[in-house]
Amino acid sequence: MKNISLGQYYPGNSVIHRMDPRMKLILSLLYIVCSFLCRNIISFGLLFVSAIVLILLSRIPMSLIMRSIRPILFILAFTVVINIFWTSGETLLFEWKFIHIYLEGVMNAVFMVLRIFVLIVGASLFLTYTTTPIALTDAIEQLFAPLKRIKVPVHEFAMMMTIALRFIPTLIDETDKIMSAQKARGADFTSGSLINRAKALIPILIPLFVSSFRRADELATAMECRCYHGGEGRTRMSILHYRALDFIAILIMITFGVSLVLLNMLGIGYTM
Amino acid sequence: MAEIRLENISYVYSEGTPFEISALDDINVTIKNGSVTGIIGHTGSGKSTLVQMLNGLVKPARGKVMLDGKDIWENPKEIGKIRFRVGLVMQYPEYQLFEETIRADIAFGPKNMGLDSKEIEERVLEAADFVGLDRDLLEKSPFDLSGGQKRRAAIAGIIAMRPEVLVLDEPAAGLDPSGREMIMQSIMNYKKRTGATVVIVSHSMEDMARYCDYLIVLADGKLLMTGKKDEVFGRADELTAVGLDVPQITTMMNLLAGMGIPVNTAVYTIDDALNQIYKLL
Repeated sequence: MKNISLGQYYPGNSVIHRMDPRMKLILSLLYIVCSFLCRNIISFGLLFVSAIVLILLSRIPMSLIMRSIRPILFILAFTVVINIFWTSGETLLFEWKFIHIYLEGVMNAVFMVLRIFVLIVGASLFLTYTTTPIALTDAIEQLFAPLKRIKVPVHEFAMMMTIALRFIPTLIDETDKIMSAQKARGADFTSGSLINRAKALIPILIPLFVSSFRRADELATAMECRCYHGGEGRTRMSILHYRALDFIAILIMITFGVSLVLLNMLGIGYTM
Repeated sequence: MAEIRLENISYVYSEGTPFEISALDDINVTIKNGSVTGIIGHTGSGKSTLVQMLNGLVKPARGKVMLDGKDIWENPKEIGKIRFRVGLVMQYPEYQLFEETIRADIAFGPKNMGLDSKEIEERVLEAADFVGLDRDLLEKSPFDLSGGQKRRAAIAGIIAMRPEVLVLDEPAAGLDPSGREMIMQSIMNYKKRTGATVVIVSHSMEDMARYCDYLIVLADGKLLMTGKKDEVFGRADELTAVGLDVPQITTMMNLLAGMGIPVNTAVYTIDDALNQIYKLL
């Protein structure tokens, strides 16, 4: 159980690590929009280069990035197949019985793979790898603060997220312990039919639920003992500040988006 | 009924990563048949890892766990059977109760052993008697019991498997004195009537002195000393050096001896100490 990697924050002090989490949230959204702006080979090329530059800037090891790609390999493969075989165009590359492969299909497949790759890399670089989960919930709380005017309990949602994240490792630990305890009484989680295996989970899930409720209760009491009363009038210990770095970053991102649109107009090669 | 021998046991957490921690380092120790053996050591000394090796919940990175001369990992598929022979009560075992009634919960282990319902029923009642749970409590939900009762019910769940070796990781932690007493008595009860080998992890030197024959002392994952209770508690200086202690009454007797009063320092209970002092008067 220990190797479940949740919250893959990679400690570091790169340019991206140092950015304001709110700005990183905005940047990652803009970056995703940018990946959808690309239409032709040049703009996609630029997009790919930008992803590589981001990886280098963040100083996250390539192996770690690849690990975040692995779960979506199937989706990537599926996209490739769909695009190659089901896109019809003008330039026929290959034909055999009912299979027709067009240049457009191949190009579409490459573009889509690039787009998904950049999407994942962008989101994980700006958010999960370089921002601690706590900083992220802080950022979400502050970015959505205006919604408080229309009575959306933004602070409460952010607090719930923080607490949920905080307790993930605790729960994993707890699950581990309960599993060991039930194994000591001869419980078997690995063999038998699917139904038997599902049944074997009951001795884990019930104690886990019970202890989660107990923990929640204790936490609530502890918070009340320290006079927690929600977001109203609450000041923060660490106040986020936008710095020059953040403004430069967003300027670069906007320029990047605009240049992608302009490059699309060049009309070189196939346009998606 | 059963002897456990640990041969060159080592265990490392997160091996091969920068976060590598050596939890146990080359442990060689024998837990004698029919003995009550105590394991002491400060927090993080590897006690819990060690006891989880005794029933195969944790597989040693190096070394062998021999149960009656046979390596328990000889056939990894059969490790489940070892767990019925070596019953492990983990820390705070009351958190693993899950059935609707105490009766059903105690029956979980025997049921997993594949026993028939008559035998299971018999074992449940027997285990409940060992730990001193009233029959009418058996029909109650675990949530209706007090902390001490829950703890005893959980221990009964292990005893119902009639293990040859009963291993308990801090069985009395967090209980009031009468609760502690009842737990320790239940364990001794089981030992006396079945002749089982008992292994207890505890921070209470008083309990250890009172119930154990042999002691194993761990410090930072290494075996600091092992031997009869007298031998181990006779080395009070070494124990205090690693943040452990001898029973308070033994400390007092050591102080008396240090003052030149001729007392026997191998004394662990207040009654024995009293006898010693009376002799002087």
